[in-house]
Formats: sequence, structure tokens, C-alpha cells
Amino acid sequence: MNSLWVVVIGAVVIYLAYNFYARRIDRVVIASDPNRATPATMYMDGADFMPTSRFVLYGYHFKSIAAAGPIVGVITAANLWGWLPSIVWLMVGVTFIGWASDYSAIMMAVRNDGNSLSAIAHRLISPRTRTILFVFIFFYLLLIGGAFVGIMAAILDARPDVPFGIVVLAIMGVVGGWLIYRRRADLIMVTLLIVVVTLAAMALGPLGVKFSPNNQPPPTWSTGVVSGPVLGINNALNGGGPIYSVVDPTNADPRVPPSGPDGKRPQTKAYNPATGAINVFPSFLFWCLFLLVFAYLGTNLAIWRFAQPVNYIGFWIMALTIGLSAIGAILAPFTNPGVATFQVQAITGFAPTQATGAIQWLWPMLFVTIACGAISGWHALFGSVGTARQLEYETDALPVGGGGMFSENTLGLLSLTAVAITGAAGAGAFAGGVGKLLNVATFGALPVAFGTALGFGSFVVIVLTVVQLVFRVMRVTLGEWLGEWWVGFKNQHVSSVFGSILVLALVLSGTWVYLWQLFGASNQLLAALSLLLVTLWLRSAGRNPAFAGIPMVFMYVTTVAASLITAYNLYATIVTRAGSAAISVIGAWAMIIVALLLVAAALLIAWDAWKAWTRRPAEVQPQPAPAGGD
Amino acid sequence: MPDRPDDEPAERPGGLRGLAARFREVTYGMAAHDMTRYALRSRASMEHLFILITMGDLVGVPILPPYYSLRLLPYVVPQISTWKRRMLREKDLTDAMF
Repeated sequence: MNSLWVVVIGAVVIYLAYNFYARRIDRVVIASDPNRATPATMYMDGADFMPTSRFVLYGYHFKSIAAAGPIVGVITAANLWGWLPSIVWLMVGVTFIGWASDYSAIMMAVRNDGNSLSAIAHRLISPRTRTILFVFIFFYLLLIGGAFVGIMAAILDARPDVPFGIVVLAIMGVVGGWLIYRRRADLIMVTLLIVVVTLAAMALGPLGVKFSPNNQPPPTWSTGVVSGPVLGINNALNGGGPIYSVVDPTNADPRVPPSGPDGKRPQTKAYNPATGAINVFPSFLFWCLFLLVFAYLGTNLAIWRFAQPVNYIGFWIMALTIGLSAIGAILAPFTNPGVATFQVQAITGFAPTQATGAIQWLWPMLFVTIACGAISGWHALFGSVGTARQLEYETDALPVGGGGMFSENTLGLLSLTAVAITGAAGAGAFAGGVGKLLNVATFGALPVAFGTALGFGSFVVIVLTVVQLVFRVMRVTLGEWLGEWWVGFKNQHVSSVFGSILVLALVLSGTWVYLWQLFGASNQLLAALSLLLVTLWLRSAGRNPAFAGIPMVFMYVTTVAASLITAYNLYATIVTRAGSAAISVIGAWAMIIVALLLVAAALLIAWDAWKAWTRRPAEVQPQPAPAGGD
Repeated sequence: MPDRPDDEPAERPGGLRGLAARFREVTYGMAAHDMTRYALRSRASMEHLFILITMGDLVGVPILPPYYSLRLLPYVVPQISTWKRRMLREKDLTDAMF
């Protein structure tokens, strides 16, 4: 297997799925009509509702849904089950579930006056469903915040060549915002300046560091121009040794090093292969706080001053890195077949053995580990509020919503390629793969070590973009929820700090892979809920709901099972494990409670949905949108 | 069923120029459409707050004496329908998220 086959498989499956399945559903079941007025044209207000070109909207929708999800999920899944199940789920998931969820949520909102999923849930199922949807959203935000801050802090702690680029990104964000909005400087010149400087800072991370094949001996970070001082800071902080240790029974934590040629994992500062303990050092806490401060600035400064320009730089870095890597993946089989060949195992089995007894069955765990890229509830939520209100014609929903999802799937395939050609695990494998592909794409002009640093930097930038959004939304959520109980939560600083404390507690006490899998479960439950709403809506409209209903049942059962297994894993491998640190046990219990709450919420929704299903369709018949044409 | 309305004029030039225009639009959509949208929403919020203060009695919130409302009315007329639609629309948490 090599990268070219991934490109071929992806292109063929997406072509067939889009043209022969998605188009048919759009034409026959939904019957999108370009002559029917959309909410954007009916309620145009120049802000929320505004008809927009489908090409602009496609770019907007794709950028809003494509982030770190398809990268992190695929990295973790390829490590746990191999590349074959990962690619099968990516392709089958996007073909039969992913695009259908995104597209139908958008069309449902379009046909319901641009109402959000929560408003439609309130009407089609019950008022309680809307409240439960908010519970999902809150846990979703908390878990994704924890998972992303955890993985980024581990990278910044382990790779002293990465933080400099992130600091420069923050500075360039402030400079860019000031130049664009205050000085009214030329956008193209400002873009060139801030993007080139940030990219240069990221690529310069390894300057002066000596790298060896297979990292044996490890890189000489102390000799690096950039990495040397960062390592000095880490060492100064870590003088007193580790604070405590945690355990990841699946070894998917980014701090666990990949196995060497002998199949054994080497001992590192953070990892003890004999006990499986992952040491938590003060420097890890420091980088967690660094990221939370970054997110705090993105959440509370005027959006034009920091978050927007940082995300703008992030977009260009992501586009350049991903675009060049994709070119590298296509070229590599011809110019450098050794690089293109997959090194990672094809399949590790249905129930790969975990030394600690953790259950990681392919079903259901794979289906929550890879969420974005195959199917994601977040897309449906965003699509119903953000995209549906800007569609000029109903017929634009398929290229925008469905097309955006298929495009995101290609990002997942690229991540899988990057991980598989490196033959290792974790974010390091992704960055290593990107480094190799960039080397191929630039015909050797960019050395692998610098490309790898760029891969790490790009990964952190992509994640940071999401984390800023997550904390901003969490601030709004806390203000809306708890603001009635105590007015202090309506203060943006109080709610931001409170949200940060919750996330930090989760990161420090939790086990990364369980955080990720719980996040995946909440995301997929959101997707199942979205498909459930679509099913009820189609039934009430007298149309065949099978294309949404069958995937909904599968996702519903799968995610409930995955949540229960994660709760069991937490109990069996951390709570009852001899020698677990008290903080780990507390974190495990917190996550068990979250998992059980998700299951309880899902069961309540199922009950309410069943009652809605058995109601006469006329009772839930939505008001038809007024036709604008004939 | 065609994917464009019956009465829509020819969309955009074909060939390389059309391709370049589409590429520009997609790039703009990815890079800056959310920024534009945020700026528009901020401006709309400010304007609608102003109209609420001055023309609140149109939705049953009498704040300013009618004299001043009447003086400002000609300037606000073009936005009243949009404002009432946005003001009276049911909103929840998810509307504030994006």
C-alpha cells in the first residue's frame, strides 16, 4: 500500500458517492428546488441572513468544519487498529452518513425558516430535547477543550523547536490586526508579511539541532538556536522532578514514544516503559497555562485584535502545508517510492490486546475515535445556523454542505497517509509524515527536519484555531446557563477563567485517549440527534427518511455502546488500578460521570423521539416555507 | 431539475477566467468570509440597539418621547423591517455561537 492508492481510492469513492448517491437523495428525496425562496432571500437582514455565492459559501463551510478533528482522530485510530479499518470507516462513513448528516441538517434548517437544530428539536420532539442538546454542547466543548489542550501541551513540552513559532504567531496576530484594522494597510502586503514571518519562525525551530535516523540518539535540542533556550526553560521548571504520573492503557497519549525497531518503547523523560507511567512535569503544566492564556486572549480581546488575525494566519499556514503535503502524497510514489510506502500495520485485529485490560474493540470504539472526516455532529450544528442562513438557492446545499464534508474527508485521508508512511504513532507521526511529503513536494529543497517542524507547527496552529473558538463558545454557554444562577458568570472574564479551570482540571487529571473518545462520543451523539431530527422531519413531510434513519440508528447504538465501554475502561484501568495517583482517580470518576450523563441524555432523547415518531405526522407537520418563485 | 433558477442570467465567464474567479471566491470564503460576517453582525447589533432605543415603541418598548422618535423616523425607515425581523426572532444559545 502506498499514498497513491489512498488518492485513487479517495477520488473514486468520493466521485461515486457524490454523483450517484448524494445527487439522487438531493433530487428524489429532498427535491431541492432552485425556484423556492430560501431563508437568506426571504429574511435578508445583511448580517445573519444574506444570500451568498455558493463558491464563497463552500470555502466558508469547509474552513469552519475542517480543523484538527480529522487529523487527531485518524492518528489515534491508525495507532490502535491499523490503517485499513481507518480508511474503510473514513470512506464508508462519509459516503453513507457524513455528507447526509451535514447536507440534510442544512436543508432541514432551510425548509424550517432558518431555525437552528435546537429550535427544530424543541418543536419536532419536545422542549426537553433542546435542553439536552445544550448539555451535549457543553460537554462537547469541555471535552474537546481538554483533549486539544492536552495534546498541544504534550507537543510543546516534548518538542522545544515548536513553541517559538507559536509565540511569533501570537505576535504576528497582534501586528496583523493592528495593520489591517487600524493602519488600513494593504491586505496582500500584510498577509505576505505576517504569514511569511510566522512560517519562517516555525521552520527555523530545528536550526542547529542534530537529528539521527529513528531518533537514536535523540535530537540535540540543547544545541539549537531556538530550541536551546526553550529547553533551558523546561529544565529549569523541571528541577524538582515529576509532580505525579498518569497511565494511558492504550499508549495513544502523545507523550508515549513510538516503538523502536525491536518493538519496544524507549524510556523517555516522560514515559516509563516498565510501568507504563506517564510523568507529568511542571513544564507540561506550564505549557498548559501558556495555551490557556493564548485562548483567553483569543476569547476576550476584541476579535479583530487577536483571534481573527491569528486564525487568518492559521488558515494560510494550514492551506500551504496541507496543499503541499497533498502534492507530495501524489508525487511520492513516482519520485520517491520509499517515502510513499505505508509502514504502519494494516490491521491489529478486532480487539487488539491492551496490556492493562482496556477494551478497545474495533466496534464501537473506532467509530467514535474517528469522528470528523467520517461524520460529525458539530458540522450539522454549524451548518444549520451558519451556512443554511446564507444559501441563495436550495440547490446550493449539496455542493456546499455535502461537498464540504467530502472535502474534509480528504483531510482525514491525508492525515492517514502522513501517519502511515511514518510508521509511528501520535502527533509526531503526523508531523513526521508531513515533513517527508513536504520534502518530496519541494523536490528536496526543504529538509525533512525543517518540514517536520513545520508539520508540528501547523498541527498546533490548526488546533489553536479551534481552541480559541471553543473557549469563546464556552464563555457564551456558561454566561447563558449559569448567568441566571449567579450574575458573575455573565462577566466574560469570570466565565472564561472558570471554563479554563474546568479544562485544566480535566487535562491534568484525565487520561488523554479517554478524553478524546468521550469527545468523539458526544460529537457522534450530536450527529445522531441531528439525523434523528431529519428523520422525523422527513416523515412529517411524507418523504422516505431511510437515508437518514438507518445511519441514525447505527450512530446512536454505536455511540451509546462506546460511552459505556469508555466508562468501564476508566473504572477498570485507572480507578481500580493499584498505584493510580489520587488526581487520576478523581479525573477518571469525573469522566465516568460525564460518560453516564451522555448515555442518560441519549436515552431520554430516544424516548422522546419515539413518542414523537408515534404521534400522527400531522401533529408535527412544519409550516411550509413560502415559495418565492412561481 | 436544473440547479439554477429559471430566470437567473448567465452566471459567470467560463474557461480560465471563470475558474480563476471561482478559485478567488473559494479562497475568500475560507480566509475572510467569517471575518466579514462578524463585522457585519457587530454593525447590525449596534444599529439595531440604536433603533431599539429610539424606535422601541414600534415593538412595544416606549423609551424616547415620540417627538425625538418622529425626528429620527425618516432616517430609520429603510431598516425598520429588517430590525423588527431580527429583534422579534426567537433566539437561543446556538444562535449566539456562530
